[in-house]
Amino acid sequence: MVLLSAPRWLRSRLTDRFWRVQEVLKYARHFRGRKNRCFKLAVGSVRRAFVKSTKARREKKRILRTLWITRIEAASLEHGLKYPAFISNLLKSQVELNRKVIADLAIYEPKTFKSLAALAQRRRQEGFLAALGDGKEPEGIFSRIVHHY
Amino acid sequence: VAKTSLTSPPWPEVKLPDPVEEAKYHAEVVQKVNEMIATGQYGRLFAVVHFASKQWKITSEDLIMMDNVLEAECGDRIRMEKVLLVGADDFTLIGRPLLGKDLVRVEATVIEKTESWPKINMRFWKRHNYQRKKIIVNPQTVLRINTIEIFPCLS
Repeated sequence: MVLLSAPRWLRSRLTDRFWRVQEVLKYARHFRGRKNRCFKLAVGSVRRAFVKSTKARREKKRILRTLWITRIEAASLEHGLKYPAFISNLLKSQVELNRKVIADLAIYEPKTFKSLAALAQRRRQEGFLAALGDGKEPEGIFSRIVHHY
Repeated sequence: VAKTSLTSPPWPEVKLPDPVEEAKYHAEVVQKVNEMIATGQYGRLFAVVHFASKQWKITSEDLIMMDNVLEAECGDRIRMEKVLLVGADDFTLIGRPLLGKDLVRVEATVIEKTESWPKINMRFWKRHNYQRKKIIVNPQTVLRINTIEIFPCLS
């Protein structure tokens, strides 16, 4: 703005209040509507934006973990394994990779993910065989035919 | 005897391969991979490293930023010891859970130690005249991964 006379210049002075108001408005400049210009409307919106961002920082960790789990599930289904089987067998074979890294491997290193899936599948089968055992009856059990007279 | 629905269990019968043959096959594969490492027939190596209580998938010339302080000056070379996985195009070495220190060597340099952008923590209850605003600035460290090397000492 070009101010052409001295009284006009005096009227447009930058007071402390201006700077205090700008401190709040600077966080509202990218909002939609009058709340990016008018201080009264901006105060409430900026406050809500800060509170939402603090809460979202805690939710982000949960959201990202579910995202990784979805991706790992999709990738392991391509190799014929379900997610709980994949993760539990990987942990039983003492491979302690977290979900973030396994999801990254599934995206960028498909061969490595395939080998991890094969490892989990093999450990699963070994677990089944160990659980089934020899197929014999346990010792110390005998059957007796009861006679009723 | 006729086969009914209960003669065999409902799950598919799984037979593991013969352990002796399997051991021979494993030894062959290990020897081949050892030869490949010794002759250097691999391209870019990637590694999964456990560092600053997080797991990172890194390659050489990578930048890593940690949200905490490292007790090392800028320009110091650091060797990362907890390596969980190393891989190349044709083979991967999976650690259970860690790989040996004589097998992999991951070197990194500390590039810069700065502070994060000022994050705002605000709590507000409506109609109770309660609001608290706190500005949090975390120290950060940036590392550049220089090299990942593997040595042919598989058995």
